[in-house]
Amino acid sequence: MKVLLIEDDKDTSDYVARGLKEHGHVVDLAPNGRDGLFLAAEGAHDVMVVDRMLPGLDGLALVKTIRGAGVRTPVLFLTTLGGIDDRVAGLEAGGDDYLVKPFAFAELLARVHALARRPPMAEVETVLKVADLELDRIRRSVTRAGTRIDLKPREFLLLEYLMRHAGQVVTRTMLLEHVWEFNFDPRTNIVETHVSRLRAKVDRDFDVELIHTIRGAGYCLRGPA
Amino acid sequence: MALPRLFRTAAFRLALAYAGLFVLSTAVLFVLVYVEVTDHAEDQLKELIEDQAGALVAQGKIEGFEALAATLRTWSDTRRPRPASYVLVDPAGQVLAGKLGTARPRAGWFTYVEPDDDDGDDMLGLGTRLENGSLLVVAQETELRELGWALIQAFLLAGGASLALAVLGGMITSAAFLRRLENFNRTAAQIVQGKLGERVPQRGTDDEFDRLAGNLNAMLDRIQALMESMRQVSNDIAHDLRTPLAHLRQRLETARQDARDTSAYEVAVDSAIAETDEILATFSALLRIAQIEAGTRRAGFAPVDLSALFESIAETYTPVAEDRGQSLLTAISAGVTVRGDRELLTQMLANLVENALRHTPPFSVVRLSLDKSATGPVGVIVDNGPGIPEEAHGNVFRRFFRMEASRTTPGNGLGLSLVAAVADLHGIAVELGDSKPGLGVTLRFPL
Repeated sequence: MKVLLIEDDKDTSDYVARGLKEHGHVVDLAPNGRDGLFLAAEGAHDVMVVDRMLPGLDGLALVKTIRGAGVRTPVLFLTTLGGIDDRVAGLEAGGDDYLVKPFAFAELLARVHALARRPPMAEVETVLKVADLELDRIRRSVTRAGTRIDLKPREFLLLEYLMRHAGQVVTRTMLLEHVWEFNFDPRTNIVETHVSRLRAKVDRDFDVELIHTIRGAGYCLRGPA
Repeated sequence: MALPRLFRTAAFRLALAYAGLFVLSTAVLFVLVYVEVTDHAEDQLKELIEDQAGALVAQGKIEGFEALAATLRTWSDTRRPRPASYVLVDPAGQVLAGKLGTARPRAGWFTYVEPDDDDGDDMLGLGTRLENGSLLVVAQETELRELGWALIQAFLLAGGASLALAVLGGMITSAAFLRRLENFNRTAAQIVQGKLGERVPQRGTDDEFDRLAGNLNAMLDRIQALMESMRQVSNDIAHDLRTPLAHLRQRLETARQDARDTSAYEVAVDSAIAETDEILATFSALLRIAQIEAGTRRAGFAPVDLSALFESIAETYTPVAEDRGQSLLTAISAGVTVRGDRELLTQMLANLVENALRHTPPFSVVRLSLDKSATGPVGVIVDNGPGIPEEAHGNVFRRFFRMEASRTTPGNGLGLSLVAAVADLHGIAVELGDSKPGLGVTLRFPL
């Protein structure tokens, strides 16, 4: 996919660009807000990764501008450590996701993938299917190979999120943010605990495992290849 | 030219402005009084002259023209009664009796000046035509000029005195103002010089100055507390981050010396990354606490469904507790709401529940409850673990404070500091209690 990276810090942009290229993506780099705006206005990219603080034109203003011009390219904001109010401001300006520097590359990659394939809300299907697993978002029911599976509310949300990002790596932090709405790092392993409970219900009694642990990155729900 | 400070004060300028206004109103009053008084005096004089002229005309009619002329001649010679003049002129213009200075006698009202009069007052004369065609003139000194002068003098004296009083009053008030302001200036200057404990003295009169002093002192207290906490944070960072950084360095050095193959390097790098993440998490937590303490989040307060928040935390942590061999029991009332920041309240409660789970052994029971009370919602998190000794209760909310027993468990000692910061932001009273055994944390939310 084509990624537009707008970042003035050379260390960060080298690190991100190299990683994305290694994973087979095309990266356009803009070292300042003005160049970034020029490239972003083309709307030719699948995802934009935008630093909040940029020389020339800051990230927030840039995204506000292109959103005003009708460019719908998903935006992942990068921001410095500790800006607890930045996340809200970033999302309000038209950003789609938000990542605090420094970050693990796996985290950035997972988020870029999730953004690029995120279908517009109107197109989200009411019934999600992966292999023989089915989740009905309206009736809030889950079946696997026709067998009904009873899930607790949180397990249902967790499975729904995994299925909506089927085939993609979903990190622990992404799950905390979207399933629990925790924008902080808890000191206990709540994600691991809940995923293992979900696994026990979804995978244990079946031959094919759907929920996979990706070491050093997170989880991935996918059907047999 | 620089005026003395006293004259440059706002109070003095105000007093001066009032004095100016007073002078202006005095001048207007003077003009009105002057016109009224002189008009009245002139009217009275005219009445007097008319009366005298009438009496003389009557005398002439009764006693004859010659007798009148004789009387006037006598009066004129003795100049009695002063300061009046009486003149009788025959139709040809010949003066028969008396004298009339420079003025040419004529019928009707006229004014003139007597050249030998020492005070130079106007004379007001009335000429009356007699039956035989002669002209009788009766004139009186007006004294209007004298009256005017007396009035002006009186007004100048009164005006001058009150102007002087106003300036003096202004000076006294300004001096009092300056003296009190000087207290503020002196305190501010001393604070600039580094004496941060200085405060503006208060008189206890509860006037504007006292209230200003009170507010300033409160502000200074707050600033001092913030600076103290900043200093505390920097000390804490220096002290508590040095240990993990030293540890990290040691590990990397050991790996550099001892690692023999790629897998050994990988292990070393992985653990270095994990340790770096720990340090970053500590940094992040410190900054987050500092930002919460800054209070800017208060602007985004909205109603929060506290019951749903407690239920959600309970649902999240029940499996965690079970996996640790502990149990989480709940008693949460429905429909409890509070104004606040949902995200921060979630983190506060999560921290307290995690604290209870992490510092109690297997088979412990953690109870989470929420109820309404007359003073507002009350949340309680109580465990039956080892608890915290009474003497440490005051310390647990301090940054990086860790009980000796928990030094070995993972954690950065910031969890309860964050709880304290969030509670402070929301006006929640946090009480620690000994539940014998175990720790009970009571959150008293505001109404």
